Amino acid sequence: MKRTVLPMGPQHPVLPEPLVLDLVLVDEKVVDAVPTIGYIHRGLEALVEKIEYTEMGYVAERICGICSFMHGMGYCAAVEDVMAVEVPERARWLRVIWAELSRIQSHLLWLGLGADAFGFENLFMHCWRMREEILDIFERTTGGRVIFSVNLIGGVRRDIDDDELLVIVEKLQELGTAFEETTRVFATDPSIRHRIEGIGVLSADDARAVDVVGPMARASGLAQDVRSTGTHLYDRLDFTPVVEEAGDCLARVLVRVREVTQSIDLIRQAVARMPKGDGQAISVNVRGRPSGETFMRLEQPRGEVVYYLRANGTKMLERFRIRTPTFANVPAMITLVKGCDLADVPNIILTIDPCISCMER
Amino acid sequence: MDGPAFLARVAAYREEGWRLAVVNATPLLPTDDHEHGAFDVTWSFARGGEFEHLRELVLPTDEVPSVSGSFASAFLYENELRELFGINVTGMAVDLGGQLYKTASRVPFSPTAIRARLEANGKASPKSGRTASPGAGGTTSPGAGGTTSPGAGGTTSPGAGTASPDTDGATPPGARRDRP
Repeated sequence: MKRTVLPMGPQHPVLPEPLVLDLVLVDEKVVDAVPTIGYIHRGLEALVEKIEYTEMGYVAERICGICSFMHGMGYCAAVEDVMAVEVPERARWLRVIWAELSRIQSHLLWLGLGADAFGFENLFMHCWRMREEILDIFERTTGGRVIFSVNLIGGVRRDIDDDELLVIVEKLQELGTAFEETTRVFATDPSIRHRIEGIGVLSADDARAVDVVGPMARASGLAQDVRSTGTHLYDRLDFTPVVEEAGDCLARVLVRVREVTQSIDLIRQAVARMPKGDGQAISVNVRGRPSGETFMRLEQPRGEVVYYLRANGTKMLERFRIRTPTFANVPAMITLVKGCDLADVPNIILTIDPCISCMER
Repeated sequence: MDGPAFLARVAAYREEGWRLAVVNATPLLPTDDHEHGAFDVTWSFARGGEFEHLRELVLPTDEVPSVSGSFASAFLYENELRELFGINVTGMAVDLGGQLYKTASRVPFSPTAIRARLEANGKASPKSGRTASPGAGGTTSPGAGGTTSPGAGGTTSPGAGTASPDTDGATPPGARRDRP
C-alpha cells in the first residue's frame, strides 16, 4: 500500500514549541515517525566554557520557563554536592515548597493546554485561572512569576516568614477544594473520555522497554518517582507515587490531576515539619572552586531530570549536562504514535507534556 | 574499547531490571597523549534509588557499539553523540541520519571545536587541555542523597591514528544530511 510522509510541525496548534515529526502514513494509520529537534537548540551546556560556575545557575533557570525553579535547584544541588556544602535545613524545606508549587503550576498549565486540545475551552480557562493563583504566590514569595532566581549555591536567597507560609497553606487548601470540581470533570466528563480514553495506550512492558519517566511511566502502572527515593527531604514526607494502570491518554491526564492534589498536601506537610522561628539560616557562604563530578536527579513535573556536573578546580565547569524528562520520553512518543490514527497524533503527543526548550537546552 | 565485553555488561543491566537513565559524553581537549582529544562517555543506569555507571574513554577514531539492542531508548542518546560530539556509534537501532539536531555548526562539541572556541574566548592556551579522569573499572554504586560520583576511566582503545582528525567542519560518519 502506498506510503505518505506527512511532516507534522515545527508549528502546530497543539505544540507550544517547535518539534517536527515526519509521520509515515498508510491511509490514515501512522506506521512510522521520525523526530527532528533542534529548532530552539541554544547550546546552553556549552556556556560553561565562558560563564563561571557561580553564574551558571542563572543559565540553568533559563533552560525553560515552566521548569525554571527546579532547573536552578538541580544545578545548585549538584554544585553543593561536589563542594560538600551543607545547606541549612530551612532552605531545603523552602526548596521543597517552591518545587511542589512549580509542579502544581506546570500541571495546571498542561491540563489547560490538554483541555484546549480536547476542545474543552472552558476547562482550559478554569485551569489557567487557578494557575494564576500559584503564580501570585510565587510573586509574593520570590518577586518573580516565571524566573525566580531564588536558588543560591549554599541555600536560597529569600525566606518566607512563618505567617506567610500559613496563608499559603490556607490558599492552597481553598485551591484544592475548587480543584475537586475540575478533577471530577477530567475524570468523568463523557466528551473528554470519548476523546482520549483508550487512545495512545502504553503498556507497562512497553514503558519499561523504552525507559519512560515521570507521569508517563506512572500512567502505565510503574511506581517510578525520584521523590520516592527519599532525596531532597522527601524521606521526611508522607509520599507515595500516584499511579494509574490504563496507560492511555486519559490515565496520563489523571496522574497529573491527582498530582496537583498531592503536591498541595506535600506543601502542607513541609510547612508543618520545617524548622520555625526567626533567625533560621537560609544559606551558607560558599567559597572556593568545585573539583569533582556528580550526577543529581530530581523529579520535575514531567519526570526525572538528570544533571551531570564535572569541575576541575577552576572557575569554569568542565561539563554541565542536563538530560530532561522530555528527552527521555521521545522514544515512548514514537512508540505511541506508531499504529495510531492520524487524528489522534496531536493528543498523544500532548499527553506526553513535551517541553522542547528543556529537551534541546 | 572492548565492544563485546562492554555490550555484555550493558545487557546484564537490562536483565537485572535497570533502565537507561542517560548517556553522557564529556569532551577532553587535545593533549600530548590524545592529539585530537577524546571523550569520557558514561552510560548511567537507574533502578529505584540506585544509580550506576559504565564509563569508557573514547577517541575520535574509535567505534562505539550501540546499546540499543539492550535498551531501545538508547538510539536518541546515540544519535546525539554522533551529531553533537562526532562520536562514531555503530549499529544504532534507529539511525536518524543526522536529522535529530539542527545546529548552526556541525559537531559543536568535538574537542577541537571546543578548543577553538576556548582559544577564541581567551580561556585556554593552545597547549592546555582537560585530562581524562584516572582510574579504571567504570561501575559505581550510588552515593548519598541520590547522587553518585562515577569512578572514571574504563578501557582505552588503541587509537589507530589513521583516521582523519576531528575538526569543527568535519562530517562524522552518517552525520547530517539535508532533509528530504
